[in-house]
Amino acid sequence: MNVKKVEMVFLSLCASMLLVFLLALFYSAYGMGMHLPGVEATVDPREVRQTAPFDEPGLREVGEGQYEAVFLGFAWGFQPREITVPAGSEVTFIATATDVIHGFHVEGTRVNFMLIPGQVARQSYTFREPGEHLIICHEFCGAGHHLMYARVIVE
Amino acid sequence: MSTIGLETPVGREATAHHEEDTGFWSWITTVDHKRIAIMYFVAATAFFFIAGLKALVIRAQLMFPEQTLITPELYNQFFTMHGTTMIFLVAMPMAVAFFNYLVPLQIGARDVAFPRLNALAFWIFLFGGIYLNSSFLVGAAPHASWVGYATLTSPEFSPGQNTNFWLIGLSILGIASIMGGVNFITTIINMRAPGMKLMRMPLFTWMTLVTSFLLITAIPVIGVALIYLGFDRLFGTVFFQPAGGGDPVLWQHLFWIFGHPEVYILILPAFGVISDIIPTFSKKPLFGYPIVVYAGILIGFIGWGVWSHHMFTVGLGPIADSFFVAATMIIAIPTGVKIFNWLATMWGGSLKFTTAMLFCVGLLAVFTVGGLSGIMHASAPVNLQQHDSYFVVAHFHYVIVGGAMMGLWAGLYYWFPKVRGRFLDETLGKWHFWTTMIGFNLTFFPMHFAGLFGMPRRIFTYSAELNVDIYNQLSTVGAFIFGISSVIMVWNIVKSWRSGEPAPANPWGAPHLEWATPSPPHHYNFPRIPTVRSREPLWHKQERDEILAVTMPDPEEEPLMPNPSYWPIVLAAAITLSWALVMTGIWWVIALGILPVILATFMWAFEPAFPEGHGH
Repeated sequence: MNVKKVEMVFLSLCASMLLVFLLALFYSAYGMGMHLPGVEATVDPREVRQTAPFDEPGLREVGEGQYEAVFLGFAWGFQPREITVPAGSEVTFIATATDVIHGFHVEGTRVNFMLIPGQVARQSYTFREPGEHLIICHEFCGAGHHLMYARVIVE
Repeated sequence: MSTIGLETPVGREATAHHEEDTGFWSWITTVDHKRIAIMYFVAATAFFFIAGLKALVIRAQLMFPEQTLITPELYNQFFTMHGTTMIFLVAMPMAVAFFNYLVPLQIGARDVAFPRLNALAFWIFLFGGIYLNSSFLVGAAPHASWVGYATLTSPEFSPGQNTNFWLIGLSILGIASIMGGVNFITTIINMRAPGMKLMRMPLFTWMTLVTSFLLITAIPVIGVALIYLGFDRLFGTVFFQPAGGGDPVLWQHLFWIFGHPEVYILILPAFGVISDIIPTFSKKPLFGYPIVVYAGILIGFIGWGVWSHHMFTVGLGPIADSFFVAATMIIAIPTGVKIFNWLATMWGGSLKFTTAMLFCVGLLAVFTVGGLSGIMHASAPVNLQQHDSYFVVAHFHYVIVGGAMMGLWAGLYYWFPKVRGRFLDETLGKWHFWTTMIGFNLTFFPMHFAGLFGMPRRIFTYSAELNVDIYNQLSTVGAFIFGISSVIMVWNIVKSWRSGEPAPANPWGAPHLEWATPSPPHHYNFPRIPTVRSREPLWHKQERDEILAVTMPDPEEEPLMPNPSYWPIVLAAAITLSWALVMTGIWWVIALGILPVILATFMWAFEPAFPEGHGH
């Protein structure tokens, strides 16, 4: 096959770019331990309010500068409505839904997951700057969808 | 490659010697693919206005923060039906209108393989669409968005008939789509003229073939999902109900296994249209014809392996997510290849910017914007920032309106002279194009920013705190300009249908077989079937002369065409009725509802397809 030199260069450039991206993907996943959220646990949605940790939604300190925030999403609101953490703390969000599918997006961060009844989602984020973040439901959930929000206040 | 329009006999008026029946009942009973195509186009345009008006109400509601122009419940019904209608009752049937009109003409056949089935598919689509929209009359329009995620659609959280209308309506429409797919695959594989090898077919016919395969494979998947959902709602099963051990994520998988190929069902016909138009107005054969064909087929295949990119926030885990990221990035390659092929076709060509060509170039520009934002959310980490924000709304309107609809409007201007024997008005056409471009971009470009600044989609209203007012106001203004552009289009069609400038048989000097017939073509298309020897049969002088000698003169005896029939419309009504009765949830009512279907099918089967004395 007769391939022009300039085309060969172009093809090799494209191929090596793909290779670099692929290696970067593996490195970030296994070398740097960056993971996308997966299913953490399952829970019976009928009994979620009696099941730990969802029997007591809210913020608790689990170590120095480390917090766990347990959230419940339901039509139409979040529980708790507001959490306050000091700047620089790492917050692990643990959340599920009690009825239909909801969304959980902490504005301005990469914390964004679906709240699926029966599944527990978990994601951590370090809030470095003081400020206020809106938590919104972005997964359409019925007539009160636009009313469904909560807040993270970083002091 | 000269303009051969002048050399060929003009319009059909000059040559017709057989007056066709054009009364009301002749349209109801017709099995002619060209008339069915016109009915598809008219119905799809009517639904386009119905869904467009809903979009205008939505935009008015979102113009200012904290507005309450309509209630949240009505808002939900409007955006649900806007999406459902635009996809299932506008973009798909409008593409099918083009399939119907053009495929038999482009491959040198007299009709599709199953003319009565074709009529049946049209009537089912029309009745299904009317049924779906009739939900507004009883105040119970679907309200759970066009994706209908479980468990929002479960009987517990969506009581009433709203979701039943949706799932039964889509089931009815699915029947029509599968029939269409079977019909076009059979037609294209079996009914090509001598010499019309697969690799000589016009690109539009090729993309029809790929789309038809997607239809017959993707529609059954949503059929399964809808039947599960129907059982959950009406008969107490728990397929999607976590409280009973079911899995709501199963719905998302089934919906998107259908939903992503559906995206390609919408876009591939438009790709086919512009692959036919760009060469004509560049006076050059399509650059890299086989590559464009293979790229279309590849898109059809890879389109099956990308569905979970709609579901990155579900939490499928890193392995599944990585796979779908990679597959989604890969599918951008054949699409990009096509874009470059069209650009290369135009490169160095002698370009002529008619309205049809303007829409093609417009498609290349805006579809590429939508393609780029698509590559952005193909990456799972980026997707997590954008999921279900207005950024996504901007993206898919850029690909569906800027891709599918722009392509079909290009086709409208290009093939209208063939259908009517008159041109669409070019001045109005240019107004249509520019108001579309301005209105469309003004509506959807600001949505990228609204989304990135945190505005979720499917939201009834938003707080002023979000600081997205200005983007919403721009979008609303744009939407109304876009609305005006659509009125210009319809005005142009109506005006030109009555008094447009007469068009010759091949007004654009195009290369394909459909232009070797008078404008409009005889109801039997070709008096004798021509023989094809190349990809651009009308661009080679000797081949063109041979073909025109076969296709243009009036035959001594008209070819035998199938009888018109009442049974397609009767059977379609029976099928729609039988599905509508499922809403009652009473098993014996549902069983009784099947009787008219069986009866109409029998009557159909015993009706002769051809006039008396002509076996087949």
